Amino acid sequence: MNKTININLGGYFFHIDETAYKKLKRYLDAIAKSLSDDPEGKNEIIADIEARICELLSEKITETRQVVNELDIHNIIKIMGEPEDYSDHDENFQETKSKSNNGKNNFKKLFRDRENRFISGVSSGIAHYLDLDVVWIRIAFILLTVFSGMGLIAYIVFWIVTPEAKTTAEKLQMEGERVTIDNIEKKIREEFSSIKETIEDGANNVKKKVADGFQRNGKNTTSGLQDFLNVIGNMITVVFNVIGKLIGLIIVIFSSIILISIFFGVFSLGSFELLGYGDNLINLPDFVYDSILPYWILTICMFIVIGFPFLILFILGLRIISSNIKQFSKTVSLSLLSVWIVALLTIVFAGIDIGTSDAYNGTKIENYPLNLSSKDTLFLKMINDDELYFQDKLRRSTKRIKVEDNGVKKIYATNVKVSVEKSNTENFTFKIRKVSEGRNKNKATEKAAKIDYRYSIKDSTLKLNAFFLSHLNHRSSDEIVYVTIYVPEGNTVFIDTSTHSFLYRIKNSNNLYHGDVTNHFFEMTEKGLSCTDCIKQLKM
Amino acid sequence: MKIENTKAQMRKGVLEYCILSILQHGDAYTSEIISTLKSAEMIVVEGTIYPLLTRLKNSGLLSYRWEESSSGPPRKYYVLSESGQQFLKELDMTWNNLMLAVNQITNDK
Repeated sequence: MNKTININLGGYFFHIDETAYKKLKRYLDAIAKSLSDDPEGKNEIIADIEARICELLSEKITETRQVVNELDIHNIIKIMGEPEDYSDHDENFQETKSKSNNGKNNFKKLFRDRENRFISGVSSGIAHYLDLDVVWIRIAFILLTVFSGMGLIAYIVFWIVTPEAKTTAEKLQMEGERVTIDNIEKKIREEFSSIKETIEDGANNVKKKVADGFQRNGKNTTSGLQDFLNVIGNMITVVFNVIGKLIGLIIVIFSSIILISIFFGVFSLGSFELLGYGDNLINLPDFVYDSILPYWILTICMFIVIGFPFLILFILGLRIISSNIKQFSKTVSLSLLSVWIVALLTIVFAGIDIGTSDAYNGTKIENYPLNLSSKDTLFLKMINDDELYFQDKLRRSTKRIKVEDNGVKKIYATNVKVSVEKSNTENFTFKIRKVSEGRNKNKATEKAAKIDYRYSIKDSTLKLNAFFLSHLNHRSSDEIVYVTIYVPEGNTVFIDTSTHSFLYRIKNSNNLYHGDVTNHFFEMTEKGLSCTDCIKQLKM
Repeated sequence: MKIENTKAQMRKGVLEYCILSILQHGDAYTSEIISTLKSAEMIVVEGTIYPLLTRLKNSGLLSYRWEESSSGPPRKYYVLSESGQQFLKELDMTWNNLMLAVNQITNDK
């Protein structure tokens, strides 16, 4: 099967198959070339020839055989003769020409060989002309340039003056081969695949038109000069291309590192979550920790929100490096964009949720009496439930830890503040004030009431929990339990060492900092607490 | 020196004379001229003729006219002009002289 082309030859219409077309076109081009010494009659002669070929072809075309094939063209060339037969028949001309046709070397013409060029093909053109290896010519130019500078000038002069071997006929002339159809064919088979030739034919047509336009204005030399400028332009383009590729490479490396690290981060977070190691191993930000959404949704969303732009950057970088990488199709990019937007909205939603969840404070106050006789001393102690969460030394902190209390997951927090004040009555009392945060006042209060804080009284000892438990949903990390002990005037309180970290307001006449008040007896006086056993220490 | 070149040159020299002679007997279009020349083995390939015809026409020895053809494209009919006839007459004389001269020389051998 062969593609056919429609051509107009001498005003007649032919179907011609592709290979035959190429052959015919080359033939006509070669004839035009060999007639170039006679520019006025050229078009007329070509028209005559085309008319004749048309006549010959229409004899071959019948109802049953409609397409002109390669053999037809071959026969026509046989009838019409090789392009060199067309050359001018002037006696004088003929003599010199036939003479020169015999000697291979004299037939040569100096062209620039752009196919084997390093810069402009001057050297390889000269090499063809002198039948030398191009390397020697190049070395000569370089040496001349280095030692005298003449090389460069000579090179540029050659460049401007020497025409470029554009057509196949010119290329043959450059190499000293006779311009016959056989040689042209050989040459073409040698050098081009047929596809390239087709492209070049098309390009040559355009080039010819453009070049014709130029030649009318500025003769042949401009093409050399233009070429020179073109190459300089090309060099600049190459430099920019290299810089661009480098930037592309940096972008690719940078974004792939980020993508890989995000991927591993998400993967390991997800693995911890899946394997149930959970929360206490990784210090998650409140944002993730307190979110109403599951971790995995949040992490995936974050991966998408952060990762996608880098993914796009990565692909852009790849495209800078190699133009083979295709752009995403519209559907793919639109769906990527919508996934990204959904992920972003999810994150925004979670953010708004977190932001508003602790907008209001709520408080729950409980007052309890302490049944102690008026002369008793109150012992104040803090205790921990080591089964819930073991602490080597009791400390107050804002850390919140997930624990299991009889199979129920809860928040274990140690943000308990203890103070001792003077009682307005004759009795010991104490007040527990639980503070929480919520979306509104009611919710905050509700949450405050749900805080599970315990104490126990045994004899004259008040054992306060060094922690409180809170519902898992109480994401707010700002829950605090305040415990205030009211001591009536004239009574004594012993502040145990275990309270050390939890004390926050111990007014005393000894001006002791609350860090120093533990392990001492204090008597409530009119002016506040007064240490009864630390005078010696103070004196020391 | 190749024999082909000499042969071709000999033929080419009288080619113009032949073309003008053909047109003397009446107007003819390109293919007719070519087929006459071919049958007389004056030419081998047709390509030679086209530049020659154009040159003869440009130097005013020939003129041409277009004629529609029942089969194929319109034909270019060449006509011998006044100066062409004059030219041909001179060539006739030259050819006769030349032929005599050549005959004389070759027969003498």
